[in-house]
Amino acid sequence: MTAPAVPPAEYLDKHTILGDIRESVVDLLAHRELLAQLTLRDIKLRYKQAVMGFAWAILMPLLVILAGLVIRLAMAHLSGEPLASRGLAGVAVKALPWSFFVGAVGFASNSLISNQSLVSKVFFPREVLPLSAVLAQGFDTLVGTLGLLVALPFLGATLSLALLWVIPLAILLAVFTTAVCLFVACSNLFYRDVKYIVQVLLTFGIFFTPVLFEAGMLGPKAGALIMLNPLAPILEGLRLAVVEGHNLLVPLAAATGPESGNLWSPWYLVWSAVAGLLGLTLVISMFRRLSFLFAEFV
Amino acid sequence: MSGTGSREAGRIVVDGVWKKFQRGERHDSLRDLIPNTVGRLLGRRRDPLALRTNDFWALKNIGFEVLPGQALGIIGHNGAGKSTLLKLLTRILRPTLGRIQTRGRIGALIEIAAGFHPDLTGRENVFLQGAIMGMPAATIRRRFDEIVEFSGITTFIDTPVKRYSSGMNARLGFSIAAHLEPDVLIIDEVLSVGDLAFQERAFGRMKDVVRSGIPVAVVSHQLDRVRTLCTDAILLESGEIVKRGTAAECIASYVQAAAAERPENHTPIPGLTFGTIAILGEGGIRSGERRVMRLTGQRSQSAAIQRFELSFQLRSLESGQVVYRTWSHHHGAGVDRAGYFEFLVDLQFNLPPGLYSIETWAGDAERDERLGDGPSMRVAIEPGPTFRGQAQMNPVMTLRQGCPADPSA
Repeated sequence: MTAPAVPPAEYLDKHTILGDIRESVVDLLAHRELLAQLTLRDIKLRYKQAVMGFAWAILMPLLVILAGLVIRLAMAHLSGEPLASRGLAGVAVKALPWSFFVGAVGFASNSLISNQSLVSKVFFPREVLPLSAVLAQGFDTLVGTLGLLVALPFLGATLSLALLWVIPLAILLAVFTTAVCLFVACSNLFYRDVKYIVQVLLTFGIFFTPVLFEAGMLGPKAGALIMLNPLAPILEGLRLAVVEGHNLLVPLAAATGPESGNLWSPWYLVWSAVAGLLGLTLVISMFRRLSFLFAEFV
Repeated sequence: MSGTGSREAGRIVVDGVWKKFQRGERHDSLRDLIPNTVGRLLGRRRDPLALRTNDFWALKNIGFEVLPGQALGIIGHNGAGKSTLLKLLTRILRPTLGRIQTRGRIGALIEIAAGFHPDLTGRENVFLQGAIMGMPAATIRRRFDEIVEFSGITTFIDTPVKRYSSGMNARLGFSIAAHLEPDVLIIDEVLSVGDLAFQERAFGRMKDVVRSGIPVAVVSHQLDRVRTLCTDAILLESGEIVKRGTAAECIASYVQAAAAERPENHTPIPGLTFGTIAILGEGGIRSGERRVMRLTGQRSQSAAIQRFELSFQLRSLESGQVVYRTWSHHHGAGVDRAGYFEFLVDLQFNLPPGLYSIETWAGDAERDERLGDGPSMRVAIEPGPTFRGQAQMNPVMTLRQGCPADPSA
């Protein structure tokens, strides 16, 4: 029995981006228990045979807050104005989502290659590996949030309806982080140096993201420019909503000084949402299509 | 692995499947990837049928179907494409071309302990590995005790897996896999984990699954296992199906091809030329039957060796093991006169049915030295009327009837 020398062409399958996403969602739903088990594994492994235990969850945000304190002290010294506890509360509120992003991307970048034997031997939607890294990091962040809830009232944050903004902002953060994680995990599988590039980018990212400072401190032009970083509107939005009790639908003009411009505009948030959702859509589609090469390349 | 009844019947359909691989290391650069990915996202793709340098077809035009109640053995040499085919069936790889449809939940017994994490306990790993294999948590909870009991490591279930021996690891892995409740089962070379007792238990389990009527695909080099387990088989060679039929037929073709490729030492023997080998008489050989093997040859005038001994052995082509070997000088025979000779061996084939090769060679009786190979042949032994099993015990039976109630008293 001999096979024809050239295979027939009618078997080529067609993909669409929406088709990829539907496939991805269906597969993930079917494997939700696997996602739960892998997340549980990642969480357990962080606290097993570990000196730090649960303190690990708040170490990173705490360091970010301390760094913020140093920066703010320097600024207060230069400007001659006293250090405001509200400013510090702002840093504290932003430290958590930033740590979440950094931690999730860091763990996700290795998630596929550290499970090499699984990827090359067993079928399951490969998305679960980076996703479980995101979820495990999310658990750490929740632990940190509990700590923050205790500290915030002492730093001058007030209860207001604007707190409800935390929910959509958290979702946006999760969407953007997931997109970056899937992209980084997938790239690192094909090019092993990606995780070093990612480490460098994460280390310096804090200078291009308003974590330790506020976007408004850069002046209106640079402040608006930094809002192009999709994380910036999320972090600034969280600070405004939680610390200032500001409704994010209302623009915030620069209060004083000769510059005109917005400290906050709802359009920032729209941009962030569009960037995050579009990014996630494209990344899922890319991940899906490439995932059938994972077993050959890993 | 009992079915719950209401599940749809599983089924595997493979239709015109081609798979392309690349030889050697892949040195793609980001510069290649980005335009390719963008092109793909935009719906363009390069012609997948074109073979570039170093590309080759690992599978060519593979098509078959496994229906409920069928167990398909996939056999072939290393590199014939078996593992690739399995990875396609389990959806780890996607075919370059063609369609693979597996209806129902796929259970795969491939790398049964791949998901184990050394720092987690056996118990934690059962849940993790179960989830990796696609087992619902409720099922794992329900069957947890059964799984642990089957593995035989009950007392160590709360010990981290890194303290396990490799055998314990494999047993626990197999036990989890064996309690999957799949609609379609795919088995890869996992029938040889653990000690002999566990292997038997594992094999028994697999037989039960096949009997339960779900479609099963098996890749194994243990041909006797394939023969017992499978109803049908395909034989792969360089990525193509070269034979399909019953498991026995395909195994026969495979071992014949394998035997034909056995390298023979054809260095000329000074002073001796072999002729032919044959089994005299009509028809196939049946287990327990006596038949005569004839080996011919010629001794030259100038032969320096005083006495050539003629030796032969029977090798099972299923296991590759030599089942019998003897030397003519142990039976008082040796070629010591010039001219043609005919060496007749009356053999009782007290062997289990299967394929064997008879291999011959000549030696120097004095110096106990092997000189060179003679002709070999393949024989198929058919089931005989008098016995089954691995050995002929030549029983002498006495049955006393109508004796007192307790004969030993």
